[in-house]
Amino acid sequence: MNKRIFFSFVLLLCLTAGFLCLGISAGSADISPGELFRLLTRKSADETAAMILFGIRLPRTLAALMLGGALALSGYLLQTFFHNPIAGPFVLGISSGARLFVAAVLIGAARGAVLLNSAVMTGAAFLGALLAMLLVLLLSTKVKNMSLLIVCGVMIGYICTAATDILIHFADDSEIVNLRGWSIGSFSGMKSESLAVCAFVTGGVLAAVFFLSKPIGAYQLGESYAVDAGVNVTAVRIAMILFSSLLSGCAAAFAGPVSFVGIAVPFLVKSLMRSAKPIFMIPACFLGGGVFCILSDILARTVVSPAELGISTVTSVLGAPVVLFIMLGRRRGDA
Amino acid sequence: MLDVISLSAGYGKKTVARDISFSVAPGEILTMIGQNGSGKSTVLKTLAGLLPPLSGEIRVDGRPVSAMTRGERAKAVSGLFTERPKTDLLTCRELVESGRYPHTGAFGLLGEADKRAADEAMRLTETGSLASALFTELSDGQRQRVMLARAVCREPKVLLLDEPTSFLDIHYKLTFLELLDRLRKERGLAVVMSLHETELAAKISDTVLLIKDGRCEAIGTPDTLLSRDRLREHFDLSAELADKYLG
Repeated sequence: MNKRIFFSFVLLLCLTAGFLCLGISAGSADISPGELFRLLTRKSADETAAMILFGIRLPRTLAALMLGGALALSGYLLQTFFHNPIAGPFVLGISSGARLFVAAVLIGAARGAVLLNSAVMTGAAFLGALLAMLLVLLLSTKVKNMSLLIVCGVMIGYICTAATDILIHFADDSEIVNLRGWSIGSFSGMKSESLAVCAFVTGGVLAAVFFLSKPIGAYQLGESYAVDAGVNVTAVRIAMILFSSLLSGCAAAFAGPVSFVGIAVPFLVKSLMRSAKPIFMIPACFLGGGVFCILSDILARTVVSPAELGISTVTSVLGAPVVLFIMLGRRRGDA
Repeated sequence: MLDVISLSAGYGKKTVARDISFSVAPGEILTMIGQNGSGKSTVLKTLAGLLPPLSGEIRVDGRPVSAMTRGERAKAVSGLFTERPKTDLLTCRELVESGRYPHTGAFGLLGEADKRAADEAMRLTETGSLASALFTELSDGQRQRVMLARAVCREPKVLLLDEPTSFLDIHYKLTFLELLDRLRKERGLAVVMSLHETELAAKISDTVLLIKDGRCEAIGTPDTLLSRDRLREHFDLSAELADKYLG
């Protein structure tokens, strides 16, 4: 590990800690740093402040950290898989596929008066993400041009979004009361049970992906060099697809649509470290995605306070210019 | 060292090359000569494990590669292919080190032996001065030398090269082949390669395999197989063309 990578990690860890603190102290009811410390060490008797902190802000900020990390890592896996820096769960329609399935399950459950738990939601989102992913893969065997593949993914995204809209249109208002807020995209309203599912899925997948960093590194060079090195390329491909679908499905299930994190964060992190080695990129993307989403969440709830912006509005404003920058840079340099 | 026994190679149901047999001893070079699409690359890809053999057998040191694990096979056989490696921000040193893949542990961290092998490979290929340069910044000639260092730092027994000199100018073509000639002697490598430059193949090869329409047309020493008339016939050249360009 060279100095630059070492300091990048120090910076990312400091940013994560800093934004976590900022995330739980910022908002319409200000909690001073001193009060924050007393609340965290359980030495304050302020019940309202404790409720705001532990009931609302802490879960929300933790959700932004975990799901942001999940989205960034999912994007990184897709970019590696397709050897394309502008692949991501949102542009390839994978998030929209997940959303369609979650909407269907939510409406179905409301009709049947079944109470849903977070694990079922995550499962539905994973299935939807996986199906959209398989559709993209099917198309990728037909189109050799990488830009065209992205266009295909965007189309799949539109089709899934349209199908979701149709579902919502024919559903009763009472059935979609949950869905309305969720379809704008937000890290809020996470129950502790949902947080636990999130932590389990994202933490587990992060660890699994980290253990794959060696074969992923060989895969990056290209198929012939990976096979030559003794990598089971098919197995690595399947693992990358499953893990990126799980991560983006989990994010879509709990936060709804969150755009551009998956493309912008890996690029920013790579530029920061000046290395594309998976063993560094995997943890750094996760941290970077967390920081990016906590920041976006803080902006979403403070900029137009007391109203709130959709999380995707903020991530688009921050992330889309980065994507444009990547595309313009690609034309100049070599791919 | 390397024994190929009536190998048929191709993609799925499409057989591109059939009934290819040859042996290469340590320190020897076998060169496949043939027209574009004759099946040279397909045979090399099959030897490298990129394609499963349709029939026949490949043995290294008497052991069938089909009985080896991926890691064992990668330790024994290493290659240099026409696919351009996607190296992004990798330095030459890192790329060379990536050749140690089958020798390193679960996270690919390099041990002392791995570092020494990379040093040695870069010294032999005279790429030491490029160590910290990005691979994408190099010229084609430098790239091929670095890729050769990557292949040999694994310390394989068999080296496979698919048209290694195709994009190089005459200076780099000759220095590359000179390097290869030295490496195979020092390391006792069994080399199988495809080459379009027949005049260079004649100088460096111990054995030449003429391949045409996926079949082994002839196998033997360069003197007997790379004569002007033999090449004229093999490459379907008119007497006029041969007279004008082959001299």
